[in-house]
Amino acid sequence: MKRRDNTGWIFVLPATLVLGLIGLIPLIKVVNYSLFEIFILDARFWVGAEWYKEIIGSGRFWASFGRSTLFSALILAIQIPLGIAIALCIPRGKFWVGITLAIIALPLLVPWNMIPSLWLSLLNPDTGLLGRLFPQVGWPADWKLSVAHTWAVIIAMDVWHWTSLVVILCYIALTTIPAAHYQAAATDGAGSWQVFRFIQLPKLYNVLLMAILLRFMDSFMIYTEAFPINAGGPNGATLFLAVDLGEEIKAFNYGPSAARSVIYFLTVLTVAWTFSKAQGRLDRAGIL
Amino acid sequence: MKFPRLYLPAIKSLILVIFIAFTCLPLVQMTLISFIATLPTPDTEVGTLTLSNYAGIWTDPNLRSAFLNSIAYVLINILITIPTAIPAAYAFSRMSFLGDKYLFLAFIAFRITPPVVLTLPIFQLFSNLGIVNSVFGIGLAHCLFNLPVSIWILQGFISAIPREMDETAFLDGYSRPQFIWNILMPQIASGIAVTAFFCFMFSWVEVVFARILTTTNGKPISMAINALFGFQTDIGLVMAVTVASILPGAALLFAMRNHLSRGFKIGRV
Repeated sequence: MKRRDNTGWIFVLPATLVLGLIGLIPLIKVVNYSLFEIFILDARFWVGAEWYKEIIGSGRFWASFGRSTLFSALILAIQIPLGIAIALCIPRGKFWVGITLAIIALPLLVPWNMIPSLWLSLLNPDTGLLGRLFPQVGWPADWKLSVAHTWAVIIAMDVWHWTSLVVILCYIALTTIPAAHYQAAATDGAGSWQVFRFIQLPKLYNVLLMAILLRFMDSFMIYTEAFPINAGGPNGATLFLAVDLGEEIKAFNYGPSAARSVIYFLTVLTVAWTFSKAQGRLDRAGIL
Repeated sequence: MKFPRLYLPAIKSLILVIFIAFTCLPLVQMTLISFIATLPTPDTEVGTLTLSNYAGIWTDPNLRSAFLNSIAYVLINILITIPTAIPAAYAFSRMSFLGDKYLFLAFIAFRITPPVVLTLPIFQLFSNLGIVNSVFGIGLAHCLFNLPVSIWILQGFISAIPREMDETAFLDGYSRPQFIWNILMPQIASGIAVTAFFCFMFSWVEVVFARILTTTNGKPISMAINALFGFQTDIGLVMAVTVASILPGAALLFAMRNHLSRGFKIGRV
């Protein structure tokens, strides 16, 4: 049993101070700005919840919200099962594991602003490896005019970029299963599916919660990567939540951008809270 | 169910090979372009094989300093993150204190807060502190997402060490800080290496903070690449810089591969 006293606070103090400085103070500032009309930082007027009403009441916000939700849902539906599947496919031999993991992790090391450039050059009809091949399989040259094709490219790009993280996390968790568990399963004559369902999957719950949380939030707020692919088009069909915020910050609309930031942060907080509740429930059910 | 048993290893290898091919495709494309002259110069024609793109990295002082800046801010970030994360991870793993669950949740919330949300106030705060346009500023800002992740990873490593070890050490007269420094740290050395690697990985490629915190000076690689885009973009050079920017990480990854493949217990959310 952990003993309950407050000396623990001394140990978390440095981390709390750092995150207080670069996280909490900026956050308080944002909340403050969101209640004012600001021309320059010294001249501002109290507007109360005006910006919030404007954002919540606008169809544009809810359209972006819907698009981001759909995008995140698709990303999770692809990346989580794919990540688990690939982690299960990685061989057990010591030599190949290291090499395989190293290659799989490479996309995580590409600077984020270069990821759309890589994919655009891959799809370039004159020089791209895929771009030259695609007309033969019916991929239109003017794919940027098509909503479905643009979405497909952005999703393929995100799957390429981030599935590796899910694979690595799952693989790391899978290796902690003692060999004795597999032997016991083999003696009992368990099939591959049963081994997965009753031995491997339970070990993955913890890591999957984290992977889902990270992938959900990062795809929900995708910013750097998605926009350059097709500038949010065609007709704003790939304008996600964070793009609107980025535009307002660039235009120095302090008040509205701050209000938007607060709304986004509250969304984040709700999601994180839901996850900790979900974990608590799994805990009590004795699964974790 | 004889059929799947027999073919399962083959199917697994096939899936893995397809996935690796998919992973490599854009990287191969990038490497190919990086060896091709894409802007006409007096002595090379467009489309010929060349090493001049790589030579260009070495001769451009902006690109050279960008590499140094990136290395500097990542190191600064790791040097802030690891020493603050270790005691915190220890506390979350071993101790119970008022509000511990909520504090951990708050940390995780900062990790998943999109950087765009905090760009404006962080820029103002950092300009008041005088650390805009410096590698220190970026290094510090990146703690926002690296610190929570580090605490989470390290906590798993610490929890894997039997609690009896703490108690024996306390009976031998060690204080908690002495125990962490002398006994715990050597035990979780590979965990610290893995954590530092994750810090490197998330910090090296980040662009939102890197962009707003470096308008004049201290530009990292990602921003130096951005600056190469213009009216006439030398895409060969851009790709060569990108390839070069992946190399340090790839080398680290290769060195770390056995630590990663050995696996470790991961902490709770």
